[in-house]
Amino acid sequence: MSEELRVSPIETRGVAGKRRFAMVVDTRRCIGCMACQVACKAEYDTPLGVNRTWVPYKVVGKYPNVKKQFLPRLCNHCDDAPCVRNCPVEATFKVEDGGFILQRYERCIGCRSCMAACPYNARFMLPSHRTYTPITNVVDKCTFCFHRVTQNLVPACVQTCIGRSRVFGDLNDPNSEVSYLVAKNATQVLRPEEGTKPHVFYIGADRNATEFGRDAYRQPEVMELERSAFKRNFKI
Amino acid sequence: MGDYVWFHDVSWHASYAVYFFVIGILAGLSFMSYGSWITPALRPLREKAAYGSLGLLALGGLLLIGDLSQPMRFLNILNPGYLNFSSPLAWGALNIVAFGICSVLYIMALKKGDEARGKLLALVTALLALGLPVYTGFDLTVHQSRPVWNSPIIPVLFVAMAIASGSAVGSLLAMGNDEAQKVLRQYMLWSAGAVSIMLVSVMGTTNYGGSAQELTFMIMTTGTMGLLFVGVGFLAGSVAPAVLLFAPMGKSQGVLMVSALLILVGGAALRYVLLMAPQQLQTLY
Repeated sequence: MSEELRVSPIETRGVAGKRRFAMVVDTRRCIGCMACQVACKAEYDTPLGVNRTWVPYKVVGKYPNVKKQFLPRLCNHCDDAPCVRNCPVEATFKVEDGGFILQRYERCIGCRSCMAACPYNARFMLPSHRTYTPITNVVDKCTFCFHRVTQNLVPACVQTCIGRSRVFGDLNDPNSEVSYLVAKNATQVLRPEEGTKPHVFYIGADRNATEFGRDAYRQPEVMELERSAFKRNFKI
Repeated sequence: MGDYVWFHDVSWHASYAVYFFVIGILAGLSFMSYGSWITPALRPLREKAAYGSLGLLALGGLLLIGDLSQPMRFLNILNPGYLNFSSPLAWGALNIVAFGICSVLYIMALKKGDEARGKLLALVTALLALGLPVYTGFDLTVHQSRPVWNSPIIPVLFVAMAIASGSAVGSLLAMGNDEAQKVLRQYMLWSAGAVSIMLVSVMGTTNYGGSAQELTFMIMTTGTMGLLFVGVGFLAGSVAPAVLLFAPMGKSQGVLMVSALLILVGGAALRYVLLMAPQQLQTLY
């Protein structure tokens, strides 16, 4: 994609001297072991009931030829992030070199405007009580493991991925593996119609997996029963 | 079946809808108080509306601050070093503070009997009050991924609902005053009619949208949400008062009171559904 597609001054697509980190998720290689989810939980002490990355699945096909289709999810670190625009106190900001979308916990007022703005549900509210970590009652999200990447390490989920489904690197570097994968494969992003220009690219994800699930077509009352059962043990 | 759905929480809960309702009424009351300088029939409402508006601002402020998960950091939003002017919340916070200051000055002028300053401050307060439903509407409109919210009609709808709610409360406050009721009937009639038309427009465009819009339309028109939106908000709270007030019997005191109450109940239901329904679908993504 060329730099002519930039529409917002905060976008870093093709800007010389600026890194633009991205993740490619090859869904054909994902085996649904959830090791990425566990590694992330361990890295950040993410509380119960919320996740920085999660792996939902759909069962597709017709018996006996059925399979699970996984779609690992995380913050898309959008080039034109609606959460950055919407935060009234600039608690959410974009790191110009790298494109990380990060959160200033000490500044966040907990208005949840960023949560409402995110088309990917990547943000969540931290609970008021945590055992080991003093950061509470503010919005949290995936950081693309900023602290690891700045030490020349890959994010924890990428490090642990047993099938090498997740690949991380600089998209502005034409020699990086992510650049190669994005150039050589048909890739998809989630909800491209929102114009957020996500930095998480999927290989092998079809619309069946990236659209609203069939549960969305059920009555809200039924969904509410399942939601309360799901959240029963998590007082957030 | 067989899908593993990860449930997310809604961002804004029902307390925010109560805040929308309160802010709508207080803006409407502020319009009424200014209207009393233009239309002599509304003169009995001038002080009552000004006091009511300031009292509701205190309640609304408490609701807004209480809804933050870090309530003690609410001053961050007024810190010039932190303010992000691309967020409607930042503009809204400044608008609320300016409105509060002007309301206090206006009430002080009213107490002193300073007519010239009072009229000017009433105008400034009413203009700032106009910003309140507009900013709450923009709060929703800027979220590009949410059906219904992401529509330019929402701020206009919120202004119409503010006029309807404000004139309904004004009508209850001016009970027994025929001259004031005659003017307030007109306000209620045309604002309830405008709200009805805008709701038809919102429902139409939502139903004819993409899959997310269609699903949101289903949530808004079926089950409990459907009862609240279509039954209480649209039919009972907007269409019925407009029809009742337009009918020949619409000038009677009883019909005016019933219409005012219907508009208030409908306004509360509409704000709840407009806030919550577009969030329900998103929780499943």
